[in-house]
Amino acid sequence: MSEVAITTMLIVLLFLLLGSGVWIGLTLGGVAWIGMQLFSSRPAGDAMAVTVWGSASSWTLTALPLFIWMGEILFRTKLSESMFRGLAPWVSRLPGRLLHTNVIGCTIFAAVSGSSAATCATIGKMTLPELDRRGYPEDITIGSLAGAGTLGLLIPPSIIMIVYGVTADVSIARLFVAGIIPGVVLASLFSGYLAVWAVLNKKRIPVPGERMTFAQKLSESRHLIPVVVLIAAVLGSIYTGIATATEAAAVGVVGALVLSAVQGSLNWATFRDSLLGATRLYCMIALILAGAAFLTLSMGYIGLPRHLAEFVGSLGLSPFMLMVALAIFYIVLGCFLDGISMVVLTMGVILPTVQAAGFDLIWFGIFVVIVVEMAQITPPVGFNLFVLQGMTGKEITWIARVTMPFFFLMCGMVLLLWFVPQMATWMPSKM
Amino acid sequence: MRRLLDFLYDASAWLAALAMIGVLLMVLLSIVSRQVGFHVPGTDAYAGYCMAAAGFLALAHTLKRNEHIRVTLLLGRLQGKARHGLEMWGLSAGVLLAGLFAVYAVRLAWNSHAFNDISTGNDATPLWIPQLTMAIGTLVLLVAFLDEWVQELRGRRQSAGSEEALHNE
Amino acid sequence: QTKWDLPAAYPASNFHSENLVQFANDVDKATGGKLKITVHPNASLFKAPEIKRAVQGGQAQIGEILLVNFQNEWQIFGADGIPFLADSYDSAMKLWRAQKPMVDKKLGEQGMMVLYAVAWPPQGIYTKKPINSASDMKGLKWRAYSPATARIAELVGAQPVTVQAAELSQAMATGVVDSYMSSGSTGWDTKTYEHIKNWYDTQAWLPKNAVIVNRAAFNALDKPTQEALLKAGADAERRGWEMSRKTNTEVLEKLKANGMTIHAPSTQLKADMKKVGDTMLKEWLDKAGPEGQQLVDAYRKM
Ligand code: NA
Ligand code: NA
Repeated sequence: MSEVAITTMLIVLLFLLLGSGVWIGLTLGGVAWIGMQLFSSRPAGDAMAVTVWGSASSWTLTALPLFIWMGEILFRTKLSESMFRGLAPWVSRLPGRLLHTNVIGCTIFAAVSGSSAATCATIGKMTLPELDRRGYPEDITIGSLAGAGTLGLLIPPSIIMIVYGVTADVSIARLFVAGIIPGVVLASLFSGYLAVWAVLNKKRIPVPGERMTFAQKLSESRHLIPVVVLIAAVLGSIYTGIATATEAAAVGVVGALVLSAVQGSLNWATFRDSLLGATRLYCMIALILAGAAFLTLSMGYIGLPRHLAEFVGSLGLSPFMLMVALAIFYIVLGCFLDGISMVVLTMGVILPTVQAAGFDLIWFGIFVVIVVEMAQITPPVGFNLFVLQGMTGKEITWIARVTMPFFFLMCGMVLLLWFVPQMATWMPSKM
Repeated sequence: MRRLLDFLYDASAWLAALAMIGVLLMVLLSIVSRQVGFHVPGTDAYAGYCMAAAGFLALAHTLKRNEHIRVTLLLGRLQGKARHGLEMWGLSAGVLLAGLFAVYAVRLAWNSHAFNDISTGNDATPLWIPQLTMAIGTLVLLVAFLDEWVQELRGRRQSAGSEEALHNE
Repeated sequence: QTKWDLPAAYPASNFHSENLVQFANDVDKATGGKLKITVHPNASLFKAPEIKRAVQGGQAQIGEILLVNFQNEWQIFGADGIPFLADSYDSAMKLWRAQKPMVDKKLGEQGMMVLYAVAWPPQGIYTKKPINSASDMKGLKWRAYSPATARIAELVGAQPVTVQAAELSQAMATGVVDSYMSSGSTGWDTKTYEHIKNWYDTQAWLPKNAVIVNRAAFNALDKPTQEALLKAGADAERRGWEMSRKTNTEVLEKLKANGMTIHAPSTQLKADMKKVGDTMLKEWLDKAGPEGQQLVDAYRKM
């Protein structure tokens, strides 16, 4: 069977299973199974079990359940309420006011966490209920959270940069530094969009509280102290060498427990609820990760991503067209695979083409991180969409729709990166 | 029977929760040991095993609480017989896939034992021991899917979608 | 036409992976396309610890493993990780010749066979501050990524630290780790020179990557294909060892160019490390039993 026919068949199968309401993690596993049995002449079962076990017990992932737990604990404290009280006077002049909390929160938290799902889950647990209570419309709050959550990948530390750095033989430290400016620029694009949206949809933004004097503002800021202390503790543990980026999640959990105890909201019931809630949310993600790991293996055996990458490489495009083709290639691939799998499966084939075209490998790394970010919010397989469906109970199609503007902002970011490559290359060159 | 099944899901979920605490303790141990200057070999591997246990052992409980996500766009629009039919299809596929998952998870632990597969890290754990959590977790998931399947067949299953409360309240 | 998958754990640009690709091409040519081997580098199919088992279970017909990784399972796999037992390319080759029949027998019992093995460049000590003797190593934060490296830390009084390869770069930058033991090429791959400026060329040991084959898959090939495979394997072994030497020289030059000082270890450090090696050899022999002694005897006779 031809490549195109196999691809089409698997995609149709995926949509059929998903559309008919089969659980997402199981669907991914089922499609992987059928693909492997039909097109690779390898027995699927044992390979599936080895791979699923390997990914489920992989130490690099341990930060994810811990950050989810941290979010569940903080959700049961007064932290988010006080954070909002402290932030409110400062964003009161910005169109959209507290709408920006998701972007601000995710940008700061991204400096702590290396994953997009953890950023999305932890910040969302704190902001969504509070924004809802204050009357901000759900479509824009959930959309901005899904979009801004992906900043976890672009702002260091970042798991995907480590994977790319090792694969492409590029300095991970330089990649981390290279991500800072594009990360801040992308966050500003998100905020800018929110401001424009707020101006165009004045009626949907709740009325502002009373004007405050500067002294009042400062005094209200004391409510920010707990959140600042917590983030400083987590960040500080990384940069003083007490904990590695992955271990910092444990510092976060302990910090959240301490905070909860200090505020008097820690008791057996809240502890139990946060623990079980985190276990379930992580379990939901783990089942999907298991399916995704098996799908990656199956794709590795069938060789689809590799052949597609070879095809793109064989087109002989001009650098700009090559960049556009690669962006499209990764966006399409990103609809079905998670980011790390995309990088691992294709980089070996893509890199020679990219190097031949004269792309700077640090620049290309940032490009890849941004397209991988887009993969987190494109249906049917988008991890931020899954996290938000798990947290809000909203339909995944609806979440994908409200996230769409942020997807286009990221497309714009890719173009911006092409025309202003210094965003990615300037800081590393100063090291 | 009902109480026995519910006990099975809950017990397994509590083990998962303990494993979650295990992840935290293992990571904390590796931080603290470095600061204080002692060495516990294999904390990274144990954290990984605990994480796997937390994920797998909670599978059934999470299914029962309707927190495993699926696309309910079509399901939510259907009523009566059509809806029952589609639910039966989804659950049948669930039973089949969970069954495959369970069979090969059990085989994995079994083969690890037969192959004498030992962790290559500093922990040197015989891998069949932590892999038992995957075998047990997926078996309990299979039981939960069968349970749901039978209840849907008898028309006693609470329908999905309707009770999808906001978990964010 | 038969299609085989060859999972490997190291990046495509690593010399082991390049050698694998060349090997696969040789097999393709020699068999007139009858046996096609697809190399999956960079752990894109299976991760390093899973590869042996994948070959054993038939999920991959052929695969590349780091032998010392499997020391927990059987001590002989770890013989090339004992410090100073074989501390040059020539002695590493001798050790492999002594080791190979035993490894082949063990893998044979597990339904596999070994095709060839290629040594990594020799292992030295990366450390932030200069060291002249083992006592200078007291209190170093030492990355322990294997039972052997953890034991070395204990013997010299360093603090063994668990840090995954993925986080090594950041761990060095923030001071979680200030020393570890590995080859020049690992230091290059992980950009260690960005954070650590000293490498002591102790030539402590030369671990090997081995290419292993599922016996049933091998038996299913016709005779000429089997022979072509064996021949390509022998060629790859010869080529691989050459590549390893060449990589070592090149990489040390590149490290120097990037600010790393390559030290020859002081007499004191050498003597101290030799003592560590003797202790570890004794401990290894206790664990490995008579077959361990047999291996060491065979090696020393060569
Ligand atoms: Na980050
Ligand atoms: Na996607």
